[in-house]
Amino acid sequence: MKLFQAAALSAALLVSASPAAMAVERGGVMTYGRYADSLFLDPVLNDANVDIWVLSNLYDTLLLPTDDGQGVQPGLATAWKISDDAKTVTLTMRDGIKFSDGTPITTEDVAWSLTRAANPKNGIWNFLVESIDKVTATDAKTVTITLKHPDPAILSALTVFNTAVLPEKAFEASPGDTDEAKAKAFSEHPIGSGPFMLQSWTRGQEMKLVKNPYYWDKGADGQPLPYLDGVTFEVIPDDATRILKLQSGDLDGAEFIPYARVSELKGDPKLNMMLYPSTRVEYVTLNVRPQVAGKDNPLSNEKVRQALNYATNKEAIIQIVTHGVGKPLTSFMSSATPLHTGDKPLYPYDLAKAKALLKEAGFANGFSTSLLVLAGNQDELGIATALQQMWGQVGVKLELSQVDNASRTQQYRDGTFSMRLAAWTDDIADPNEITSYFAYSPTIGALHSGWKNAEVDTLYQASQSEMDRTKRAADYAKIQEIFNATGPTLPLYETPYPVALAKKVNGFLQIPLGNNIFRATWLQK
Amino acid sequence: MSLLPYLLRRLAQLVPTLLFIAVVVFLLVRLLPGDPASAMLGDRARDADVARINHDLGLDKPLVIQFLYFLKAVVTGDLGTSITLKLPVTTLIAQRVPVTLLLTAMSAVIAVVLALPLAFLSALRRGKEADVVIRGVFQVGLSMPVFYLGLVLLTVFGARLGWFPVGGYGTGLADHLYHLFLPALTLALSLSAVLMRNLRAAIIAVVGAEYVDFARAKGLRARTVMLRHVLRNALISTVTLFGLSVGTLLGGAGVTETVFAIPGAGRLMIDSIYGRDYPVVQGMTLALAVLVSVTFLLTDILQASLDPRVKR
Repeated sequence: MKLFQAAALSAALLVSASPAAMAVERGGVMTYGRYADSLFLDPVLNDANVDIWVLSNLYDTLLLPTDDGQGVQPGLATAWKISDDAKTVTLTMRDGIKFSDGTPITTEDVAWSLTRAANPKNGIWNFLVESIDKVTATDAKTVTITLKHPDPAILSALTVFNTAVLPEKAFEASPGDTDEAKAKAFSEHPIGSGPFMLQSWTRGQEMKLVKNPYYWDKGADGQPLPYLDGVTFEVIPDDATRILKLQSGDLDGAEFIPYARVSELKGDPKLNMMLYPSTRVEYVTLNVRPQVAGKDNPLSNEKVRQALNYATNKEAIIQIVTHGVGKPLTSFMSSATPLHTGDKPLYPYDLAKAKALLKEAGFANGFSTSLLVLAGNQDELGIATALQQMWGQVGVKLELSQVDNASRTQQYRDGTFSMRLAAWTDDIADPNEITSYFAYSPTIGALHSGWKNAEVDTLYQASQSEMDRTKRAADYAKIQEIFNATGPTLPLYETPYPVALAKKVNGFLQIPLGNNIFRATWLQK
Repeated sequence: MSLLPYLLRRLAQLVPTLLFIAVVVFLLVRLLPGDPASAMLGDRARDADVARINHDLGLDKPLVIQFLYFLKAVVTGDLGTSITLKLPVTTLIAQRVPVTLLLTAMSAVIAVVLALPLAFLSALRRGKEADVVIRGVFQVGLSMPVFYLGLVLLTVFGARLGWFPVGGYGTGLADHLYHLFLPALTLALSLSAVLMRNLRAAIIAVVGAEYVDFARAKGLRARTVMLRHVLRNALISTVTLFGLSVGTLLGGAGVTETVFAIPGAGRLMIDSIYGRDYPVVQGMTLALAVLVSVTFLLTDILQASLDPRVKR
């Protein structure tokens, strides 16, 4: 009898421990270690990833990005319709939605929020919704967006942080004369409709979010989300300390695990080392102006750029710098970006080809150039020294110049740099943002490189109002083909987001755009 | 001679010093390449956005005008608003400086507690085993980079043994002190090494002086000789060194604060310089300058009470 009981008990234990039978558990506060604190919690006026990547927990948008970061799903709006001429978007609002202070979300709030986001005087993200002409609260449940031109990315734009819905009355009642002054005051005690709300914020130390009791979405158990009672962000700038705190149980999760520690943490039985697919790409920007600092610039020659591409052993750099975590780029945009093309690595390592191209370009004996490296950044220094050695084999002497970020940005914007290292992540599930910065010259002169291609500029403009997805994909395929062959960058690798989580953490997600999503996260007791 | 006129004279001297620092920091931070708008917006900054922000911040006005605005604001106790954090600089100073001050004070205390007895032991056992061991250990402490030493202490006493928290600042004074112990120890080790070596040398010099021999010959007890004659005289140069080192401690707190995740002034200062957050750099520098000046003043007073010649 006893034996039977013991057997039954262990069978029951086995069943309850198996993942399939694991039911969602509610409650608890998740503590998440961040490398830097947020700066400004206004969806429209912020300008940094430290804000962008947590904003969606506080402020909800009309639509939500899908988990793969490529599509859209219902958010505050349950249905949407694009008119036949593609110049009107009609959205139907969800029933009974409320802000975190319990006041109802009206279509007027939506119209006001979108108008604010599209105002070219507000912040730096308005270009994502530049197509918006007018937003009207048609009735209590319907919002109508009138567009200046058909915009194939408008639905994706309605998932982006800057189109979040804020309470007009509370915002306008905040002290201050200007929109920015009001935003400063409002964002100290923000009211949104995201799954969480701000409870307290000790700058540079910790930010406490608590569950928003009015959040609209329901969990797997039929009860309102979020499962967690709250999320606490702790600011721990030092990578090693952040990992130590995670290992000692002070944290339930830690972002930006250095690549060098990924395989070690994969072996830690108390942790899940996650590598979330991302849109992050690492590359070298080359200045292609005919002259730089009064001297002829070898990089202005397309063949020289191709030669340097072939002379770069990307696999080796991936091993050295990302410890194998990264993978070679197949286009200038990440493979997680919609309409990305390319299935094989660009410019496979080929020294002979590199030498031949340099000879053709008239640089058989190489030349000297320089690279701006972010001082103190080990990844960049690793890449730079590897490039120095690799290019030395084709006679190109690379001088490394270590500067801080603001100094580098200055030289970059002035167009006085020769080469610089850089990284990019998309903010919208569409190829238009990265393409406008990288390839479309009117934005910032193709990464301030001086590169300009009339065909690319025309294709891009056309793609911005091309509603036929196949035709738009063809436009983007052509843009990528031209840019990858002749463009001003040297693609290095794409990397996932390395996040380490305690084993008890479930349902956490960082989408390819970088947003940290805690709405369906739960902790196993 | 009373201490008050001396104090007043020293405080009066502080005004031109601070004005000079204000000018220098105002110019230096603007001499750095880049500007707040492009630092803030980063690589994606568009020309129009950069121009708009710099205009809003008044950075397109002539330098002299900007400086006069700054001076006027300082005199009225307004240090401006942080460009990146959107908070008044005075609020930031009130939040961050006490943290660094507590850290620095704690490490100063630890440094003295470590250095004083060990310097004596080392000096009196000069050349013996104790001396060699003490000096050897301190040499290692002195030559270890702060961020590395910090990580070792965190790993051993925080993560492994669990005696101390693994970084952070906690809430409430007792919790703050508990959280600050390891970082303070990290900062204290190199300072105490310097103090110990200086004091040891001073003791050795003083012990051999004629007035000490005379005091002994008078038949004073060894303890009295040590405390009243040897220690008091040996401390004079060490106190000066200590005062100067506190300035260095304040300056070096940034690295320690980063490793231990302490929201102090040092870390904010580093971030603000990188972010070209002019108002914060200016305001924090002034605040730290006042602190350092006050420390110097206190050490001078302490020195004056040890050595009556100073006041003359």
